[in-house]
Amino acid sequence: MTDLPREMRPDRALEKRVASTLVAAGLVRRRRAWPVWVAAAAAAVVLAIGAPVLRPTHTLAQGNTYVLLLYQDSTYRFAPKGHGAERVAELARWADSLYSARKLERGGHLVGPGPIGGLFMIRAANDSDAARIAATCPFTKYGGRVEVKRFEE
Amino acid sequence: MTDDLALVERFLRARGEDAFLALYRAHTPALYGLALRLTGGDQAEAEDLVQESWLRAVRALPSFHARSALRSWLCGLLVNVRRERIRADWRMVDAPDIAPAADIGSPDDAIDLERAIRALPEGARDVYVLHDVYGYTHREIAEMLGIVEGTSKSQLNRARTLLRSSLP
Repeated sequence: MTDLPREMRPDRALEKRVASTLVAAGLVRRRRAWPVWVAAAAAAVVLAIGAPVLRPTHTLAQGNTYVLLLYQDSTYRFAPKGHGAERVAELARWADSLYSARKLERGGHLVGPGPIGGLFMIRAANDSDAARIAATCPFTKYGGRVEVKRFEE
Repeated sequence: MTDDLALVERFLRARGEDAFLALYRAHTPALYGLALRLTGGDQAEAEDLVQESWLRAVRALPSFHARSALRSWLCGLLVNVRRERIRADWRMVDAPDIAPAADIGSPDDAIDLERAIRALPEGARDVYVLHDVYGYTHREIAEMLGIVEGTSKSQLNRARTLLRSSLP
C-alpha cells in the first residue's frame, strides 16, 4: 500500500460550520450553556421529582407558524464550484439567529426534481412579520425567491 | 468499531451537539484526507464534500446497523457525494473554481506521487486512492462506487500503469 498520510486536519472553522448547518436542519440539538448553579439546582429537583420536567425544550415565540419556500428559479445564481459550503453556512448563521430569537422550528434541503431547494418553518407574529423575516434570508441575495405561506394544522 | 457504535448510540439517544462533535472529531480527518485526494487537493471543494457527507450521514445514521465499519460507511457516502457532484456539474452556470490546489501536507519525497495522483483520470484516481492509499478491498470499493469488482481491478491497473509512466 502506498505510504501517503490518510488523515488531514481541516480548518477548525469547518467544525463550527458543519455543526451550525446540522442544527439549522433540525438534525442536531444545540448545546445549551447552563450556568453551574442551574445545573446543581436541576440535579436536586431531579432527585426530588424525577427527570421529565427538566428536559430542556425549545420554546417558540408567540405567533403563527409560517413556511418559507426557497425557489432556485432561473434567476438563482448557484455558488461557484467549491463554494457551496460557504453559502450553506451563511444560511445556517441566519437560521441560527432565528433559533436564538425562538423563531425557528426547523429547516433544511429539499431533494428531488423541481425548483424548490429548501424550506424553513418559522414562527412570526403575523403575515407582515413573516414577510419581513423572509426578506432577511440570505438566499435572496443570490437571486433566489422566497415564498411565504402561513401553516395551519 | 465498538467505540464507534457507542458514539453512534450516544448521538441517537438525544442528537446532542456534544455527541455529534465526538463523532465528527473521530472521523473527519480521514474524510477530509480522502476528500482532498478525490478533488485533486481543492481545499474548498473538499470541505464542501465533508460538510455534505456529514449532513447525509446524520440523516442516515438511524439506519446504520454496523454491517460495515462506520468509517468505511462514511467514506462511501463521501465518494458518492463527490460522484453526484461531478454528474451535476454541467448544471452549474458559474465560472469554474480556479483556486490553487491546497498543499496536501506530505513529506517532500511524496509530492511527486501526490501530483501524479491528481493528474489521473477520475475513475482510476478514485479506485487508486481507495485501494492503495486507504486499503479498501475491491469488493468494498465496488460497493462504494456502484461498479463491479472487475472494473475496480482494471481501473487500479490502469492507474498504476499511468503512475509508473509519469513518475521519474
